Amino acid sequence: MPSDLDRQIEQLTRCEPISEEQVKRLCLKAREILIEEGNVQVVDSPVTICGDIHGQFFDLMELFKVGGFCPETNYLFMGDFVDRGFYSVETFLLLLALKITQVYGFYDECQRKYGSSNVWRWCCEVFDYLALSAIVDGRVFCVHGGLSPNLQSIDEIRAIDRKQEVPHDGPMCDLLWSDPDDIAGWGLSPRGAGFLFGGDITKAFAHHNAIDLIARAHQLAMEGYKLMFDRTIVTVWSAPNYCYRCGNVASILELDEHLSQEYKVFQHAPLDVQSIPAKRPPADYFL
Amino acid sequence: MSAAIALPKHQLFESPNSRSIEVFDWFITASTNPISNAADCDALQASLGFPLPEMTFGSNVLTLEHRASGWKYTFSTDAALRAVKNGELEEGDGGVKVGYADKWLESRTGPSSTLPMPKTVPTKPYDWTYTSTYPGHENRDVESWSEADPANPSHAIPMAELTRPDPILFYAEIPLFEDELHDNGSSNLLVRIRVMPTCIFILARFTLRVDGVLFRMRDTRLYHSFASQPPLVIRETSGWEAPYDRVKRQLPKRDDLTPLTDPGFIAKALTGLPSEVSQNEGANTRWRGLGSKTEIATLS
Repeated sequence: MPSDLDRQIEQLTRCEPISEEQVKRLCLKAREILIEEGNVQVVDSPVTICGDIHGQFFDLMELFKVGGFCPETNYLFMGDFVDRGFYSVETFLLLLALKITQVYGFYDECQRKYGSSNVWRWCCEVFDYLALSAIVDGRVFCVHGGLSPNLQSIDEIRAIDRKQEVPHDGPMCDLLWSDPDDIAGWGLSPRGAGFLFGGDITKAFAHHNAIDLIARAHQLAMEGYKLMFDRTIVTVWSAPNYCYRCGNVASILELDEHLSQEYKVFQHAPLDVQSIPAKRPPADYFL
Repeated sequence: MSAAIALPKHQLFESPNSRSIEVFDWFITASTNPISNAADCDALQASLGFPLPEMTFGSNVLTLEHRASGWKYTFSTDAALRAVKNGELEEGDGGVKVGYADKWLESRTGPSSTLPMPKTVPTKPYDWTYTSTYPGHENRDVESWSEADPANPSHAIPMAELTRPDPILFYAEIPLFEDELHDNGSSNLLVRIRVMPTCIFILARFTLRVDGVLFRMRDTRLYHSFASQPPLVIRETSGWEAPYDRVKRQLPKRDDLTPLTDPGFIAKALTGLPSEVSQNEGANTRWRGLGSKTEIATLS
């Protein structure tokens, strides 16, 4: 007899939403698991590292086709599962993995599909418990955004209290939102909050923590991934044809048992799948 | 009711990434492509001198060519981004910071801060909101535009004609750029065109949302009636702005923020405010793009 969970996974794999009651139980279960995880989740190779998904459910299915299905392949998702695509609920419930904060779109989708805000609330509660980062075999550090000037070592990241909403300041926010940039040292973002970090910072962090590579997500890359600073940092992007109109390819990073890197690039799912918007917008009497 | 409108002779051309229409003296081409690849982004970024929007449709372009006069008018990504302020923001540029910037800086530098601020290097100043008042550009060195005569009805865009459900001969949406401001909002510039049996109509709309701070919009409308003699193009440019909460108050459901991501909703909310609010004081940024202006160009 398949368990409840197996049945739910099967249902979600077909992109069919599960019941509100099932969502509630799934989220509670996820929280129980996540609360036991550290800020820096320890992961063993081989593992496949993925970037942003943004609710593009059918593209996630393409990703699984390229990378292999669970549990045969071990996956590490670096966040931004929901918002913007059309199937955030299905995507997130199927993954229940890393981290987002924005509420645009996701709330509306939960309302539309469940007629109440409960599902949205439960999912958001889970987000608060997601791990901040991960380390593969002690040598590949994975994080959504980037580094923080207040965190020189991975042990310092382990010491953060993350069981709270993402605050708009502090080192936790840096890990989620900072970006590598072609500067030397640290820079202030022109937006007025947040840091940029240069190649020297990246290399020093890698050296100090004895890691080979920092893998991060968060920024769109037309080619699916972008290596910087003599291959010490890579941006992995896993939402092909982002927002159904960018025409970009996506990638996943496979690390084998020797941690050698293979970037697998993939295209978006065929556009005629279900209700994804047509390639050309319908004529409109705009004024 | 008048009889069904007669369709002018026209020809459509189509290739995978571009479509054109030939009608009367006009040849119009809309090219829509994927976002630029890394090499094109690097080249454009080097020539602009600031980081590009996350989604830069560098090869997208709308071109109108009036063959009889040789007048050409273009909307391109490259030119739209050149209109974004590069360097320190000054009076009139309407510069803003993210909503939590002060709090953030205080948490790093304030007396109670436990987080030492690292020594930072100056980063390139530029308008990270990508605010652009770009109205398109023409192929002539001397501008063809002069101020419209408010008393002359042929110098105004005829809304009655544009609301008439005549058949659309040619329609295109050409996104030029889009950026989610690192989850602090959204900035985008979209050009739309429809060629009707009696006229050409274009709307280039820049829409900006900075979460917790403001909404901003800049519209350029271009109208040409095939019946005008000599051929006349009307250009109307308008800018609006309002504090974030002022627009948020207009949400139909308080908890559902989705409409705040819809340029149509934002446009309705901003233009629905009294103009002394949305076109004068705006969000108190003193942005020079506020207000409205109508100009004409006679093609000969």
